[in-house]
Amino acid sequence: MTAIDGSPLAPAQVGVKRLPTDSLHPNPYNPRRLFDKEPFETLKASIAKVGILVPLTVYWEAARENYVILDGQRRWMCAKQLGLLEVPANQVGEPTLVQNIVTMFQIHKLREDWELMPTALTLGVLMGELKETRVKALATLTGLDQAVVVRCRKLLSYPKRYQDMMLDPDPAKRVKADFFIELYAVISDRNVRRLHWFQRNQFTQQMLGKYSAKGIRAVTDFRVVKQHINNAVKAGQVREIGRRLKQFAEAPKLGVEHLQIPLAGQRAEVRSLLMVIEKLRAHLEVLSVEKVYGEEQLWGELEKLMKLISSKIREADRRIR
Amino acid sequence: MPQESPVNDARIASWIERFGGYRREVGQPEIEAWLRQFRDNRDVGARLLDATEFLTRNDLEVAFREVLGRLPGWSAKETERSGRWFFVSFSASAGESGDSMVHVFRVANQLTHRRFNANFVYKSDLPSLRPGGEDTVIFIDDLSGTGDQAIRAWEENLQELLPERPRVILVVAVAGWKAVERIQERTELELWAHQRLEREDDLFGPECQHFSSTEKEAVLALCRRASRAMPKGYGDCGWLLVFQHRCPNNSVAVLHSSSSRFTGLFPRD
Repeated sequence: MTAIDGSPLAPAQVGVKRLPTDSLHPNPYNPRRLFDKEPFETLKASIAKVGILVPLTVYWEAARENYVILDGQRRWMCAKQLGLLEVPANQVGEPTLVQNIVTMFQIHKLREDWELMPTALTLGVLMGELKETRVKALATLTGLDQAVVVRCRKLLSYPKRYQDMMLDPDPAKRVKADFFIELYAVISDRNVRRLHWFQRNQFTQQMLGKYSAKGIRAVTDFRVVKQHINNAVKAGQVREIGRRLKQFAEAPKLGVEHLQIPLAGQRAEVRSLLMVIEKLRAHLEVLSVEKVYGEEQLWGELEKLMKLISSKIREADRRIR
Repeated sequence: MPQESPVNDARIASWIERFGGYRREVGQPEIEAWLRQFRDNRDVGARLLDATEFLTRNDLEVAFREVLGRLPGWSAKETERSGRWFFVSFSASAGESGDSMVHVFRVANQLTHRRFNANFVYKSDLPSLRPGGEDTVIFIDDLSGTGDQAIRAWEENLQELLPERPRVILVVAVAGWKAVERIQERTELELWAHQRLEREDDLFGPECQHFSSTEKEAVLALCRRASRAMPKGYGDCGWLLVFQHRCPNNSVAVLHSSSSRFTGLFPRD
């Protein structure tokens, strides 16, 4: 035991064994390889002062005959850096593959800045082992947010060669998971899939080409693509959007504006406006004037709205009946 | 130090013969235009070309054959191999060097038969294949210059993809001394290279005796014209190395970089 461990500030350990620091190994399924420096240093300072207060959780790995950390890797790393010869540890039974992956997911909450593809692949292993594909069940099991599980499943739906693009060692060449997640909405669109020329992998390849040629400037452009498709479908312009989408896919530098069918866009705008008007009318019909008699701001806004509506009606050469 | 010799047709023809297979046209007009940029130091430019190592696809095949041949535990016969062996492209982007290197590697080692298909896998296959302590995973690339990419890849995802800790090897045709030292120090990857570039291969280093310090300064000034950011090449490697499929960015900037003030002979794009 070192001087730090013997600090009078540290309570005595009861029912916990002490293991040589060097005899422990990090958990191979721990997704946390890199730790934020600041909280790590804070923890290290605390351990230097009072020792490790919360014992690590470890298991004995029979195949390799060594202890593996189930919980407490940061504490163990601090202990190593501080030169502590022993650490307190609770030993539990050796987990199965599934138990191990689930535990690691539960303990190490996913951070937003982590690359999602490695997590998706581990989730894929879990799905295979458990034959479980339901989003809610997987989210409950792993502690991952349902939205994250959905994103992972989208990534896993791509062929391996595209999955590998998200694992490229060069960050400048690595294709972000968001690219494939946003693209998913387009390639899984029912109307797009029905287009006679559409092939999912070829289209994906074309979109990657467009992304590097700046025909697609940001991954969020796929939302615009999807919106144009939706507008066209609602306006009965499926053939036209299919034709434009083919041209868009084949020409690397052609921008998303090419997909805007004026009539379709206009109809969508009209539909959206009608919905707002209907909502407002419903509110006004039940409005009790007595109750809001003194609400000056409301009356002011209604007057402005009335003037605006009148001017638009006049502009359209229509008479107010 | 080599004697000055004239830049005549025969010398240009020898360069064309060596560099002619580069992915972009390297003919007499390109070479002459490149040398003109050296002005009074035309001879130094010519000697740079003489000293440049140009590795063809055939050279890479030889390299990959040699490296796999000396890897302990490997045999083309499955029954004579220890554990399972998986070969994976280190770089995944389509058309990138690592991607095409797997094909070169396969051809070089006569592993193109379909019975070897199961040995050549995607990186994203690894978690489900679960290679363990008895198995070997070999990542293939053409070059490791400083080791930056390998270290980053190891820290960011390779460990996570290989939780059962198989033996992990990075096979490259050429490795710089920095890569060898740093990868060994910071990862559990074994780096196996056919050729190792040493300190004397850094054109600007004191160990390089091929050019005088005055000549080095003249070259560096031109390199700065070609690339202000990385005149000596990525990681200040200062190499004179060109692959037929692409000039590495670790090579000196006059070889591959272009700006409004200088045009490289071996553009990377």
